[in-house]
Amino acid sequence: MTPRLSLSNIEKSFGPLKVLHGVSLTVEPGEVHGLLGENGAGKSTMLNILCGVLRATAGQIAVDGTEVTIATPRDAAAAGIAMIHQELQQVPELTVAQNIFLGASLRRAGGAFVDRRAQEAEARRLLAELDPGIDVTAKVKTLRVAQRQIVEIAKALRANARLIAMDEPTSSLTPSEFDRLCEVIERLTAQGVSIIYVSHKMDEVFRLCRSATILRDGRFVSRVALPETPVQKVIESMVGRELAHAEHRSFATAEPMMKVSGLGRGTAVRDVSFTLHKGEVLGIAGLVGSGRTELLRLLAAVDAADGGTVEIEGRVIAGSSPRARIAAGLGLVPEERKRDGIIRHRPVTSNVGLASMPRFSRFGMIRRAALRRRSEELMREVNLRPFDVTRPIGSFSGGNQQKAIIGRWLAADSRILLFDEPTRGIDVGAKAEIYDLIEKLAAEGRGVIVVSSELTEVIRLSDRVLVMREGALSAELGQGEISEASIARAAIPAN
Amino acid sequence: MTTVTTAPLPLLSRIRFRDAGTVVGLLLICAIFAVLTPSFLTLPNLMNILQQSAINACIALGMTLVIIAGGIDLSVGPVAALSAVLGAAMLAAGVPVPLALLGAIAVGVASGAINGALITWGGLQPFIVTLGGLSLYRALALIYTGGQPIFGLPKEFRAFTNGNLAGIPNSVLIVAALAFAAWVILNKTPLGEYFMAVGGNPEAARVAGVPVTLTKFAAYMISGAMASVASMILIGRLGAAEPTLGTLWELDAIAAAAIGGASLMGGRGSIFGTIVGCVILGALRNGLTLMNVQAFYQLLATGIIIIVAMLIDRATSGKQG
Repeated sequence: MTPRLSLSNIEKSFGPLKVLHGVSLTVEPGEVHGLLGENGAGKSTMLNILCGVLRATAGQIAVDGTEVTIATPRDAAAAGIAMIHQELQQVPELTVAQNIFLGASLRRAGGAFVDRRAQEAEARRLLAELDPGIDVTAKVKTLRVAQRQIVEIAKALRANARLIAMDEPTSSLTPSEFDRLCEVIERLTAQGVSIIYVSHKMDEVFRLCRSATILRDGRFVSRVALPETPVQKVIESMVGRELAHAEHRSFATAEPMMKVSGLGRGTAVRDVSFTLHKGEVLGIAGLVGSGRTELLRLLAAVDAADGGTVEIEGRVIAGSSPRARIAAGLGLVPEERKRDGIIRHRPVTSNVGLASMPRFSRFGMIRRAALRRRSEELMREVNLRPFDVTRPIGSFSGGNQQKAIIGRWLAADSRILLFDEPTRGIDVGAKAEIYDLIEKLAAEGRGVIVVSSELTEVIRLSDRVLVMREGALSAELGQGEISEASIARAAIPAN
Repeated sequence: MTTVTTAPLPLLSRIRFRDAGTVVGLLLICAIFAVLTPSFLTLPNLMNILQQSAINACIALGMTLVIIAGGIDLSVGPVAALSAVLGAAMLAAGVPVPLALLGAIAVGVASGAINGALITWGGLQPFIVTLGGLSLYRALALIYTGGQPIFGLPKEFRAFTNGNLAGIPNSVLIVAALAFAAWVILNKTPLGEYFMAVGGNPEAARVAGVPVTLTKFAAYMISGAMASVASMILIGRLGAAEPTLGTLWELDAIAAAAIGGASLMGGRGSIFGTIVGCVILGALRNGLTLMNVQAFYQLLATGIIIIVAMLIDRATSGKQG
């Protein structure tokens, strides 16, 4: 069988820096092929070459046996290649149909006017198989992320794509939305469309992909058949070393650290009360939209609560600004690092010191040397790579940015850390480091709250798990009661 | 074996790299004029350029901080006019000079506070707020004076603003001192860090406990104060306060900041760069005037310089990654 896509010996250099060293990859027609590797392994570069954003320095690309040159996104589209980016590239103010026909609108009256009606009819036809529930005249901004993704897929089909590359498609999908995506992908492959699937989530890769190419440091490591190859082996090929399998360790004490009572905001979070103890890692599980993230934001006072109190070490926190909560010892490590966490252009030092500038100042002047010393101390502790605290934080990988944000709260002496999806968008190796770090924080006697939609993560980290459902707590699971089944049972609403 | 001392600071060197580019631009322009007109590269003329650039530099300092904090202040010219006429009225009425100066600066600070309040508490876009301010403060200045200039500034005031110290005009010294202060604020104080954080990523700054509202207030109040100081220098030089003074000052200031490396997206900028940017614009005008180039063509040259500077900026920062 002629492969749908074959990339051979692709090389890419940026100036003197070589980022791809002769990588090859083939995808059969109707196959879902995983492209795996840690951040920086070269996955994005490969995808960008494939969809014409970057041009390979050397190597060949063949589609259905015919060699093609892909120099621009237009060439890629002409070759039947479409890409679904992690951050969907849509115009939120335009309708579904307009987005599907973006840049290729159907015309009437000799090309003078856009034929909206024909576009909508065609969009409806394309979506009928994927998700008939989507209104083609609705503005894209009114859709949920999962639906917007379906619209992107429809757009790819509109362009007669024979190969669709998906970059981390599930980073903001709920489990049921992922199931829906799987159905759509199965339907596409049944029609002979090939998929390149990039994801950090092994369970997804193993469920969807029949084969995968593993990259490391811009080099081809291996091509594996899935799901036959053991997960552990796949991960080790990605990371290039053996990962210690860590067991959960508990440092929880009975000493209360933070008491939350009656905290609420609209219907998003309703009357939540709980106690966090010293040295405890408290997991918060629940479906997307169950109020987990919202609860953390209320705790950090990033959003204003309608009611309820937060008491830390016996003192009710008076102010309701993030500043007041930070002063009381709380620190939020947000889910959306780029939006809520980092100041991209500023060096690591400034990002680490941001929440505690007065500590590093004397007579109103920042003591840069002290800030740098403390940053280096903290970043050595969290193993920042590359170890250079003067570099802008935006130039680091997601995992290392996360370490710097954690460092920010260590610098501020926060005694309670709130993690929202601590390992989202972080590769496997750094993930293990973040887990170790969270454990270490607990061992130091801090209180930690971890919100995560990955059940394995919640189970791995938590001493105790609170499950949220529709804005309220639906279960509290102690040691011995925590399992995927018990969490799922409490998370899913009756009927 | 990572040591604290050896590695050069990439960020610092990057900022220096950008500043170095601005300086190269200035040297290039000076070199061209030095060849074209012999009177350009003389000490009196260079001093002249600095003096001519002083007012724009004063405005641009405040503008740079506002831009770094993610905003824009289009109202600086009218704020200057309003403080000029109120300050001049106080001076003409015999209020002691230091008191009148403080009064004029208070007018600028108050205008900045109004801008800040509308932007933070009112939740309006900085562009719109200060665009409104552009008309509003101008109208107040015109209404107060009935459109007539205010004369009768005391001699000692004029003597001070027009004086010099060891051959350096006082106006240049004042602006140099203010530039140093602005540099200290931006690079040495928490407020400067907050400006860059709020401009770079306001939401992340808020989550990190940065007093975002206060920070924005501070930027606009400083900008207003700088506008007042600039107006005092100008009326001292002219001997009268026109309610129409300061027209298009905001654009020169924005241009200088942008040439100097401030990003209109916020989060980035350099006080040193802004000052050099002001001198570039000043040198350009001065050189063209010496060459008897018509004002229309001077405008053309200014436009070209701004756009070329931005193109170079774009090309080089792209390479820097």
